[in-house]
Amino acid sequence: MIAVQTDDVDIGDLIHRAKQPGAGAIVLFDGIVRDDDITEMELEAYEDIAIKKLEQIAERARHLYHLLSVDIIHRTGRLKVGENILVILVSAGHRKGAYEGSRYILETIKAEVPVWKKELRRDGNHWVPGEYPHNTGNIPLNEEL
Amino acid sequence: MKVRIRFFARFRELLGSEIMEEITKGTSLAELVRIIALRRSREGYDALFDRGGTFHPFVIIMRNGVRLSPPEAEHVQVSEGDDIAIFPPVAGG
Repeated sequence: MIAVQTDDVDIGDLIHRAKQPGAGAIVLFDGIVRDDDITEMELEAYEDIAIKKLEQIAERARHLYHLLSVDIIHRTGRLKVGENILVILVSAGHRKGAYEGSRYILETIKAEVPVWKKELRRDGNHWVPGEYPHNTGNIPLNEEL
Repeated sequence: MKVRIRFFARFRELLGSEIMEEITKGTSLAELVRIIALRRSREGYDALFDRGGTFHPFVIIMRNGVRLSPPEAEHVQVSEGDDIAIFPPVAGG
């Protein structure tokens, strides 16, 4: 399952479906809204491009780390502290591929997928700056999606 | 000739989310965005361009799903039906 959506996701169901023949390891990454003295977090996506990028990243990770399954769900809209923002669930034959594949997917999403976060605070709102602010890691140039 | 321009995140707040614009043939992508930004908000224009009218290097420019560099945006002419997106560095995850 690859999705950009406002709804939450049933992680238990994802784990259940990832237990397929050949799977020996499942790694779940669940990024949640941190209690950084905020009231809520607002997430926005360039949805059609974000989904294409997530599909591309999932496919690359499957190939590079021999993953058996990849689920990526990135949420948008207003989220409260503790709610799920990004769920990545991968399965592989062995732990090494599952751990490394999960990490690869997360870091590539942070660098390349057009999603933005705004922290809503009592004293004003604040866009979270990207980790790649000067063209170093953000969306490759001239790449056909 | 009609094209669609979309702004995201902070740029959307300053310039609007989606604009359908009628343009003349031969207009460059950068020129089109300069015209729209100047018409809509000085703060929005300054968020995208430096004093010389060049895109800030961190601004991400996409045309039909393909990212262009700021110098490319100066030369690429927009075509009928183009879908242009302008946004700041991504910060998801």
